Amino acid sequence: MGVFKIKKREIESEIFTGSMADISFLLIIYFMVTSVFSATRGLDFALPEDNNETPEIKQEDSIDVYVQPGGDLQLDGEPMAQEQIADKLLPYIEETLRENPKKPVILRTDPDATYGNMIYVFDILRTPIEDGGIKIETISIPTQREISNIWTMLGVAQ
Amino acid sequence: MAVIRGREKKSGGEIFTASMADIVFLLIVFFVLTYNTEVDRTQVDLPETWVRKNIPKKAAVISISSPETGEIIRVSTGEEMSLPVSTNEEVITFASTVVAQDPAKEFIIKADEGVHYEKVDAVLDALKQSKVKIIFLLSEQRTVDG
Repeated sequence: MGVFKIKKREIESEIFTGSMADISFLLIIYFMVTSVFSATRGLDFALPEDNNETPEIKQEDSIDVYVQPGGDLQLDGEPMAQEQIADKLLPYIEETLRENPKKPVILRTDPDATYGNMIYVFDILRTPIEDGGIKIETISIPTQREISNIWTMLGVAQ
Repeated sequence: MAVIRGREKKSGGEIFTASMADIVFLLIVFFVLTYNTEVDRTQVDLPETWVRKNIPKKAAVISISSPETGEIIRVSTGEEMSLPVSTNEEVITFASTVVAQDPAKEFIIKADEGVHYEKVDAVLDALKQSKVKIIFLLSEQRTVDG
């Protein structure tokens, strides 16, 4: 019996890559438009753990830093101009902590001051003190409601 | 004077595009890796600080817009787009709900540096009442020239 051989035609198989450039550029444009390089760093502070013990409050046992409208300070009742804060705040605290390293710093801010004024002082307080290994152990940022409560507990009229 | 005109030979000007695909894919990979969906797009002038710490990616966000835009407070769980709130009670409700789901959840305060502290104080108070443990105050890097 005769065998017929059919000559196979080779079909070239190719992936069509003509539109790859379009898709790639479309993806790039999408990511460029929707991606954001957001700020991902900042100052942190931990709030005290909730316990039922009422702390004993002694007004003279803390360093009182009061930020006024405009950015000036009252440091333990003494006025300090905004321009002096960078040079004088930390040395004062360092000197005070030498006598009593456990003294907490209480950072109060006038409601009419700006957030920027408060952050400026808080940033300086968070800057490590270079000399003698002295460190601010506690920085407390009481809210207006907490301050009112403390004044009430101390029996001080505002 | 006779001018001899030679037949100009056209030289084909081509831009080398063989590496274009590599560059394009490199850019795509870069954007895929660095892609970050921002849950809060409030435009604020952040205060500048020397001390800055890394903020966890999925922290809840409370933003306060500038005084020019009405010091609007917006809240986000860190996974969904932020929504405006109008009262301090709403901030407390939001923070309490988030803390109930995850007691260790960090919160970010993203406020314009010109915002009255009274507004920030109210937010801080709401977070304290909601038993939030760690708060981050978002800032830009302070530089020597200010």
